[in-house]
Amino acid sequence: MSTMICHKCDQRAVIRMHQHRLQLCKTHYLEWFVTQTERVIKKYHLFWRDARILVAVSGGKDSLALWDILCRLGYSADGLYIDLGIHGDDNYSVQSQVYAQDFAAERNLNLQVIHTKESFGETIPELARRNRRGRVKPCAVCGLVKRHTMNRVTYEGGYDVLVTGHNLDDEAAVLFGNAFNWEANLLRRQAPLLEGVPGFARKAKPFCRFYERETAAYVLLRGIEYEYEECPYARGSTSLYYKHLLNQIEAEQPGAKLRFYVNFLKARKEGLFSEVKSDESDHYSQRCSNCGQPSTAEGLCAFCRLFDR
Amino acid sequence: MTIIVIVRKKEYQFEGKMTVKHILKELDLPLEAYLAVRDGNLLNEHEVLSDGETVRLVSVISGG
Repeated sequence: MSTMICHKCDQRAVIRMHQHRLQLCKTHYLEWFVTQTERVIKKYHLFWRDARILVAVSGGKDSLALWDILCRLGYSADGLYIDLGIHGDDNYSVQSQVYAQDFAAERNLNLQVIHTKESFGETIPELARRNRRGRVKPCAVCGLVKRHTMNRVTYEGGYDVLVTGHNLDDEAAVLFGNAFNWEANLLRRQAPLLEGVPGFARKAKPFCRFYERETAAYVLLRGIEYEYEECPYARGSTSLYYKHLLNQIEAEQPGAKLRFYVNFLKARKEGLFSEVKSDESDHYSQRCSNCGQPSTAEGLCAFCRLFDR
Repeated sequence: MTIIVIVRKKEYQFEGKMTVKHILKELDLPLEAYLAVRDGNLLNEHEVLSDGETVRLVSVISGG
C-alpha cells in the first residue's frame, strides 16, 4: 500500500476529503481549514471584521474549533457556556464545562457560564419532567432554554452576532428531516445566516460547509481537548439516524452530503421557497409579558410558560 | 502480538497488518463517522497498522 501524500507538499497526508478530491498533511490541513472558514464568513456575509462575536460553546469539538479559529483569524469573540445540569454515566455537563473553561483559561478568553439550576431553579431534566413537551425526551425543552438564553445574553452583552458550531452534517440532517416531512416553512428559513431582527439576535454558522469529521480532525490536530461523549439524551435521536443514513449515501457517492446542502442553498437563493407563506410560528408580533422577548401570542412566551406553574 | 483497536470504551484485537480502512470495515463502522489516532497522531484511511500497535477510533458524530 503506497503512502498517501499531501497534495500541496511531499509530507504524509493525515486526511482525505473525497468531496473536494483533496488530501492534506497536518500543516496544510490546518491552514486550509482556517482559510475555508474565512471564505464562508465572507461568502455568506456572516459578520464583519470588528464585530463583537458571542460563540455558543458546548465543550464539544465544533464549538471549540470555531472559537479557536475565530481567535486565530483575529476576531473579537467571547464564549457562552450553558450548564444544562445533565449528568448521565459520564457527568456530561460537568465535564463539558471543564473543557470549555480550560480552553478559555489557556487562551485568556472570556467565557460566561450560565447555570440553569441557579438561573431558573431547575436543571433541564428536572424542567423537562415537569413539562408536557419534555416528558418523552428533554431535547425540545433544552433547545428552547438554550435559544432563549443565547438570545438574551447576545442582546444584553451588546454582541453583534451569535455564532454556533453547526457543521454540514448537522445542517444536512436538519435539511433531510425537513425535506422528508415537507416542512416548507422550515426549509424556507434554513440558512447559514439568520439576520437580526428586533428582539432576535443575528445568528451565524461559519462551519456550515465542513463535514463533521473535518472539524473533529481539526481539534485533534490542534491538540484541543474536548468532550468526546455525546449528550446521553441524544442517543437514538432522529437527527443521529438521519446522519447515519446520509453517511451511508456518502460512502457510495462521495460528496453527496455537500451537494445536498449546497444545491439546497442555491435553490433557496433562486427562489424555490419564495412562494411559501410564513406560518404562525413566524409571527413574533407580541412581546412576552414577563421577559420582554418576542412571542407569537399575547401573555407569556414559550420559554416563560415552562416556569408558569 | 496483535493490533489493539479501541472504540469508545471497548477494545478489539486483530492479527497481522491491516489498513485503517480495513479495520473500520471489519468492525462495520462507516469511514465517514470515525477518525483513527495512533500515539496522538491522526492517520489517514490507507495507513497500515502492524502487530503491537494500538489505535484509537474516535467517533466524530455528535448531537441530537
